[in-house]
Amino acid sequence: MMTSAHIAYVIVAVLTLGAALRVVTHRRPFHAALWLALTFVGMSAIFMFLDSPYLAGVQLFIGAGGIAVAIAIAAAITKAKMREATQSKAHRRSAFLVSVVLFAVLSWMIVQLPLPEAPPMLPADEGLAHVGAALVDPQGYLLPVMVVSWMLLVVLIGGLYLARRR
Amino acid sequence: MAAAVPLFWFLLLGAALFCAGLYGVLANRNLVTVIASLELMLGAVVLNLVAFARYVEPVRVTGTAFAIVVYAAAAAEAALGLALAVAVWRTESAVAVEERRG
Repeated sequence: MMTSAHIAYVIVAVLTLGAALRVVTHRRPFHAALWLALTFVGMSAIFMFLDSPYLAGVQLFIGAGGIAVAIAIAAAITKAKMREATQSKAHRRSAFLVSVVLFAVLSWMIVQLPLPEAPPMLPADEGLAHVGAALVDPQGYLLPVMVVSWMLLVVLIGGLYLARRR
Repeated sequence: MAAAVPLFWFLLLGAALFCAGLYGVLANRNLVTVIASLELMLGAVVLNLVAFARYVEPVRVTGTAFAIVVYAAAAAEAALGLALAVAVWRTESAVAVEERRG
């Protein structure tokens, strides 16, 4: 039975997927970055369907606000004088084939799987409080958070080193 | 809208986004577009993580914690990749994905 939530999900999913296809097929990287921002906005709407308003906000901040803008700036800096934006036609055809075959296999597996129904949800505030507590809990996810923060520091230094003027 | 949509719709969307990103990585010559496609693939992974977390174990925070870690990795990867692209562009005034001479 189609409810309004189903219809809204289908609209958002089609928009997201269409924007994603424009990202990978557009010849100009700057436009690809703008379509990537739209894709991230669509993904954050999908997170709302999954009852994760926190991750939807994170997706907007980091995805659309950070990554897509950084890619747009890099595309504007490296105004590449390139003869061809894409690989050769035979190369593109085999890439298309690989992607379509992978998608066919994945969707066949997904349709075969016995998937669970959604259990009821905690209240949103309580869920977020649990996340915050678990991220700094030594029995929880403190180690991954420490590793990630070290990784961010290393990436910061590495990015400065790579981008310095020689 | 407490989980009105069945789980496999989310999984199918995640698979489609991942395969679109894979095509972008394989078929593009411009390094900046390749990085954009990589971000697309990572986003699809996060979508799958959150969908499974919501439908299998909504009480535990595993999905959200993993999603946050993947976001940090995605942002770091974009920053380093774009720094590499700018560095390559400075020396060769092009950012094509092909063989490099040292």
